[in-house]
Amino acid sequence: MGKITLDLFRYDQAVDDEPHRERIDIDFPETSTVLDALEYAKAEVDGSISFRRSCRSAICGSCSMNINGTTGLACKTPIRDVLRADNSVKIDPMPNFEPMKDMVVHMDPFWDKYARLKPYLQPADKDEDHERERRVSPEDMKKLVAVANCVMCATCYALCPVVSVDPSFAGPAAIAYAYRFIEDTRDSKQAERVAQISDDYLWLCAHCYACSYCPKHVDPQDRIIDTKRRSIALGQTDAPGPRHALVVAKTIKQTGMLAENEVIAGTIGRFNFKGLLKVMPLGLRMASKGKIPPLFMHPVQKVEEIRTIFESMEVPVA
Amino acid sequence: MAVAITDALPPKRRSKSAEAKRYGFFPGCVAKESCTELFNSTLLLADKLGIELVELTAASCCGASVLNDVNRDVARVLNARTYAQAEALGLDDVITICSTCTGHMRAANKELLEDESRMEQANGILGKFNTSYKGTVSVRHLLWMLIDDIGLDELSKMVVNPLKGLKVAPFYGCHIIRPESVNGWESARNPHSLEDLITALGGEPVDYAGKTRCCGFHVQLEKDGIAANMVGQNMRIAKDAGAEAVLTPCPLCHLALDGYQADSAARWGRTDLPTFHLPQLVALALGVDATRLGLKRHVISPGPVLQAHDLAPMHVA
Repeated sequence: MGKITLDLFRYDQAVDDEPHRERIDIDFPETSTVLDALEYAKAEVDGSISFRRSCRSAICGSCSMNINGTTGLACKTPIRDVLRADNSVKIDPMPNFEPMKDMVVHMDPFWDKYARLKPYLQPADKDEDHERERRVSPEDMKKLVAVANCVMCATCYALCPVVSVDPSFAGPAAIAYAYRFIEDTRDSKQAERVAQISDDYLWLCAHCYACSYCPKHVDPQDRIIDTKRRSIALGQTDAPGPRHALVVAKTIKQTGMLAENEVIAGTIGRFNFKGLLKVMPLGLRMASKGKIPPLFMHPVQKVEEIRTIFESMEVPVA
Repeated sequence: MAVAITDALPPKRRSKSAEAKRYGFFPGCVAKESCTELFNSTLLLADKLGIELVELTAASCCGASVLNDVNRDVARVLNARTYAQAEALGLDDVITICSTCTGHMRAANKELLEDESRMEQANGILGKFNTSYKGTVSVRHLLWMLIDDIGLDELSKMVVNPLKGLKVAPFYGCHIIRPESVNGWESARNPHSLEDLITALGGEPVDYAGKTRCCGFHVQLEKDGIAANMVGQNMRIAKDAGAEAVLTPCPLCHLALDGYQADSAARWGRTDLPTFHLPQLVALALGVDATRLGLKRHVISPGPVLQAHDLAPMHVA
């Protein structure tokens, strides 16, 4: 047993104008989890401390919260891994959500984005035979198991830097779930699902891998990449995101290098004058300091080898 | 704070390249295009440290995290070709100076080394031009090489122009730390190599929540304002924590942080933090002539802060 201080975010939306912090000292073993410590504090010190929890074993996905600045499941976080020098643990609600009471947040935006996906199978023959078993081969199932482990704890959504500046972004979990239905051989709405998730800014993912902290190893960042690839294969290419990917591929194939100038023009659209005008101020700021990428990229040595790789693998390019 | 993950990492081996002070060098596209000051200051620093960086001049782009969006395998094969060039030169370390190159080249290497079928696929294609990758290469960022091979103690002994009192906010860039399964050189949640380096150079590292967050570079063209807001959010916290400048091991972060602070000012207030490339600040502290470090090529001039701390005269930036 040791003295541990829980440095808690306290707030009740129904009565408080502003949140405040409260420090609660408990005698508690460092080998326990953060959730155990919270439950102990609630039982022994202050019954009004509020947080969501149920299974205590990383299955229900209820207890995600911000612990010393990073978000994760309290039931899966040992205290000794996060104890600060002064033997305290700072606990806050998940960021990117509106706080309701202490660590409890309003989850509605997260669920709304999930619901928009129509997260249920829509087979082509759904009205014909309700009793028939629809089988999936083990090979096809492999693609779906990672997402099937998702417990919808919203850790990825809370960690996502794009959600933090643009709440219209679907967020990692919703895109991972879209992938799970798009790749399910029993589903018939692949094209509709890809179009819908593209509208929900699939391509706004910043490639930051913050969602690689997923406590259930769903790896949403890889599912996002898979979904982008599928959307290109299905012909959803008329947007800055897919144009960017395809023009990057084109310049690497031609020169071996990612040719910055051509990629900027190709992503915005060479004849999209309004779009080009918008990047002008930044372009001029950079140009005034001599930061001008070469207008003509000289191919790297043995560039023909690079072209052989692209051609052997039938890589789509702009 | 206890950091369990780094405790479990295997001991760091010393490579042939480290013994010979001769490394493969993969500058990446941005250091050869818009950020040539990064390329030049890296070579000047290597010269100062007495190490040889052998540029892999036939290397291709690493895939820049974007190539995966069109094909699952092509970036891995391109990188296998790059590693084969290093092997042909007898070099077992490839040094990168970009967080994105580091993460994506390491991911490709991990897949090649851990999955025989992927190594076979790559070598099948490389075989068309009589090349093969044997799997002997490690991809390491310049930052890791400085700390593991030169050492912080040795570096601090070499400092002739200490960054005395300069408050520097480290900005890691996502792909040098995440995913931890690919990089794993230090804790992704609580890295401190840049802080350690800043301290060794005589400066004061600034602790702030934005240091491991994303600069938004990869989505700057997808929707107006996203990258500027991500930059503004992080630079606001850095500035409020007392930072006078930012240090980053990634030229993509440099471009976003240096370029977008003017646009983010409307929502986040003016921050105007100059953003140094990693080798620029190290070279400066080690006494490399400041006029050769390309400091004039920054949108936000580092001149005032360098002059205020007596580190370089205003006219170098």
